[in-house]
Amino acid sequence: MMPIIQISNLDKYFGRLQVLKKISVEVAPREVVCIIGRSGSGKSTLLRCINFLEEPSFGTIEVDGIKVEAGEKGKGHRQLVHDIRLKTGMVFQEFNLFPHMSVIENVIEGPVTVKGMNRAKAIELAEENLDSVGLLFKKDEYPNRLSGGQKQRVAIARALSMEPKVMLFDEPTSALDPELIGEVLNVMKKVAKEGMTMLVVTHEMGFAREVADRVLVMADGEIIEDAKPSMLFTQPKDPRTKALIDRYRTGER
Amino acid sequence: MSQIQKSQAELLYEAQQRKARQFRTNVAISWAALLGFLIFLFNGPIQIDSEFMKRSAPFIAGGIGQTFYISVLSIGLAICLALLAALGRLSTFPPFYALSTFYVSLIRGTPLYLQIFFFFLALPQLGIVLPGLFAGVLALGLNYGAYMSETFRAGISSVNKGQRESAMALGMTPQQTMQRIVLPQALRFAIPPMGNDFISMTKDSALVSATGFVHEIMWRATRVGRAEFNNLEALIIAATFYWIITLILTFFQNRLETRLAKGDR
Repeated sequence: MMPIIQISNLDKYFGRLQVLKKISVEVAPREVVCIIGRSGSGKSTLLRCINFLEEPSFGTIEVDGIKVEAGEKGKGHRQLVHDIRLKTGMVFQEFNLFPHMSVIENVIEGPVTVKGMNRAKAIELAEENLDSVGLLFKKDEYPNRLSGGQKQRVAIARALSMEPKVMLFDEPTSALDPELIGEVLNVMKKVAKEGMTMLVVTHEMGFAREVADRVLVMADGEIIEDAKPSMLFTQPKDPRTKALIDRYRTGER
Repeated sequence: MSQIQKSQAELLYEAQQRKARQFRTNVAISWAALLGFLIFLFNGPIQIDSEFMKRSAPFIAGGIGQTFYISVLSIGLAICLALLAALGRLSTFPPFYALSTFYVSLIRGTPLYLQIFFFFLALPQLGIVLPGLFAGVLALGLNYGAYMSETFRAGISSVNKGQRESAMALGMTPQQTMQRIVLPQALRFAIPPMGNDFISMTKDSALVSATGFVHEIMWRATRVGRAEFNNLEALIIAATFYWIITLILTFFQNRLETRLAKGDR
């Protein structure tokens, strides 16, 4: 099957520091891929390069047939980046809900402002998505009245309302109190079951093992291992992967 | 027999409340005493012409409208300029950035008094004669705009980077992100300082009187004061009006601030 995401020879520098080194990876439609690795390994940067929140230094990114070369400038490039952003939804570690808008306004903001969708239709779609994350009853609340887990579920509904082809999750449970992690992971499992292509940067090994089709392990700006979770967690090839998994197993982060 | 014993916490809380109440009462009494002393001074030891005061108070009060009018127009102009200057300061387009920093630097580097005279006295030499009120508003607006641009810039910078990122991830253009996400949040930070600026503006508008073209409170006070050599009385009247205006505006400013603080952040 044609991959829906195709990253080739991606380099990213922050100043003189190279944080991504010739990354090439493909993701098939409906696949759920978890990216794990120690902090500073480049996993978040890789994710943020896909929708150009970080401008890659070299290489190409292709999402659902839209191909963007790194380092180009001008109107054509900006249009391609915009098109890629329409294909990708993103969920952030810090939720980033808009505090001056109610929950429902947060969720319709993208469809109405970006796609020019009619408001009534956007509300209908938003209510559907809020219902599926279990928060329809909070639609008129403001974000500061929600718990962390609820905020993140609204953020997922907001991203889904743009009807993306791919969902990017950047450590979606890392800012949550331990007792709130489960509700967010459950929503993510539901999204995965509905056939969404997902890239998830995470520290939740249980989630990776249970839900992911593939797990990428990153270290020093490279993908050092790419395997099915059943293989990766039982027979890691790289000693660094083994060390990483052992650290999680002993409960140390 | 006896009433239900109050808990320790309740007793402590009541004591605390009593103390706070007492403090407020004492402050109020002291204020009243200071005010009473002032009134006493002008009724006994310092001779003032109360007949003149009664006669000229309505004339000076006639300037309150003008003072307000200048202040409202000037603050409106200042807000527009401040917003443009703040956006320029955050812009990556060199000419726009340069224009903004140049404007702020020039205005903040020269006295307001000089700027007011520039528009009244210097421009006519170049053949540009502005109507008195218009020149005053231009001078005050330009001046306050430069200072307020810093407030706006701080407000815009205080909006979390994640807000911009999530707007961009949704596919918003930079302009949409600014309009829909960043500015509404930045304005919230900027509203209380803008209130302060407006209150200062009502008083700085007195400087415009120096040119003799705008008949606001200060101009009227100096005019009647000089004419009958009753400057002391005239200035007392003007000061009272400015003070009362400031007290009223401060009251509304405080209410606005409490409302914003309560609102959903």
